[in-house]
Amino acid sequence: MNKKYLYEICSILIIFSAISIFGVQSDATNNSSKYVDECIKCHMENEMMPEHFSQTDVHWQKGLSCAGCHGGLSNEPDEEKSMSKSNGFVGVPNKKEIPEFCGKCHSDISKMQLYQPRITTDQVSQYYVSKHGKQLKVGDLNVATCTDCHTTHEILPASDTRSTVYPINVPNTCNACHGDSKLMEKYNMKANQVEEYSQSVHGIALLKNLDVGAPACNDCHGNHGAIPPGVESISHVCGSCHVNNMNYFNNSVMAQPFSDNGINSCEQCHDYHLIEKPNDEMLNVHESSTCTDCHSSSDEGYLSSEFMYNKIKDLSFLYDSTKVISEEVHIMGMNNIEIEYSLKKIKQSLIQSRTIIHTFDTAQVFAKADEGILASTNALILADNEIEEYFNRRLGYGITTFIFILLAAALYWKIKGLKS
Amino acid sequence: MGTNRRKFLNSLLSIGSLGALSAIIYPIISYLIPPKIAEVKVNSLKVGPVAEFKNNSSKIVKFGRTPVILIRTVDGNFKALEATCTHLDCLVQYKNDTQQILCACHNGIYDLQGRNVSGPPPKPLNEYVVSTIDGEIRITSQDERS
Repeated sequence: MNKKYLYEICSILIIFSAISIFGVQSDATNNSSKYVDECIKCHMENEMMPEHFSQTDVHWQKGLSCAGCHGGLSNEPDEEKSMSKSNGFVGVPNKKEIPEFCGKCHSDISKMQLYQPRITTDQVSQYYVSKHGKQLKVGDLNVATCTDCHTTHEILPASDTRSTVYPINVPNTCNACHGDSKLMEKYNMKANQVEEYSQSVHGIALLKNLDVGAPACNDCHGNHGAIPPGVESISHVCGSCHVNNMNYFNNSVMAQPFSDNGINSCEQCHDYHLIEKPNDEMLNVHESSTCTDCHSSSDEGYLSSEFMYNKIKDLSFLYDSTKVISEEVHIMGMNNIEIEYSLKKIKQSLIQSRTIIHTFDTAQVFAKADEGILASTNALILADNEIEEYFNRRLGYGITTFIFILLAAALYWKIKGLKS
Repeated sequence: MGTNRRKFLNSLLSIGSLGALSAIIYPIISYLIPPKIAEVKVNSLKVGPVAEFKNNSSKIVKFGRTPVILIRTVDGNFKALEATCTHLDCLVQYKNDTQQILCACHNGIYDLQGRNVSGPPPKPLNEYVVSTIDGEIRITSQDERS
């Protein structure tokens, strides 16, 4: 009897222990995922949560408590102790302190590697060489710091489409300050950069077509080390994507005079924020050429532009004509495979000629355009042959049909004659 | 008996005439209302004997309407990739000095697996299957293989 009683007590104890162990573990799990620490608990109860606080914040998601940034003891319910300076509490940093405040972790590779093994930790040092950082150092509190771009308590990784620094959102993030005309006036800056950018070839690609491969503000100006590119570096900035154009230009006869006269290489013809999609009319000296900004009708540059324009227009016209005739051949049911191959060559030649313009060397442009013109001539001959073959077949078929009908009629009359 | 034979011959002649008439009318109708036949798709292409291709060289071949670049790598392996750049459809070329694939239009670079590694190309080049049958190179589309 006693034994049975002992078994029952043991069983109850085991069950209780299991419940308590698993219960504790479960609570711990919940705590670690929701971070219901003393800071949060108290601030929530008193409705004193930071403005724009979001549980999607990357730090929150990775398990960083308030104390991780603001110091203090997150497990101490006593406010006096948890928020005491002796326990490392630093509170809300002032604007000038923010870069160092974030840099406590973001400049420490041993801390950051725990979250992302390949992360860089030079953001703060880059920031201090930027215009923003330099101004902040001299006490200008109007400039952007970490939180102005990344937010304070709803920070998301740049790869998250909701993030303020996701490529498609970057222009709007920058525009929060750079679109403020009153603020920009203080720095003698225009406040329409994003407005211009959004109408540019890059802006349309990024903001309208949602092509995240298109450059946003930071792709030209840098991220944390944001500075306006100088005269020397502007071609390198554009050239980081437009490699051929940069190389052709830098090796051209125009590179030196541009440099000597302080003319911004790419910007002079293409503008900077309001970069339109380049078109052949940019060479049309009689109407809208950018060349005539410097060249007049009597000089060599003017004539070169005119020659290159005419040549490229010819090639462009030939490409369009060949494309139309190739489609006609296809609709006729004839073989246009070879014509299509020639079309590829013409298109390639046209694209390359338009790029080689940056050499400002008519001979090079003509040589490349002539390859396309030759391919187009061959394609047009092929198309003519196919069309001729089509009509020959049609004529042959007509004649054969006529002979068959004639034969059938003759046979009919012959049989009728035999009957009578 | 004679009437029956004549009837039989007349029927035979009528059937024959109807057949001949159909043979004339059907092509006319087909000509006026063409049948919707899809273009014959190329799934496989013989390129030539292995011995014709030197190591570290390439050749662009016409795989139906698609240009395909066949590359023999420095170690003698074959690789076939669509030769049209994924940026603006220019023809790519093999650079035997860097052993990469270059699109000269905008300096787009792909590695030998067809992966876009630098420049404006937004995606990799499509890959084709290369096989050697009786010492001859044959290129097959991925669809055909699957």
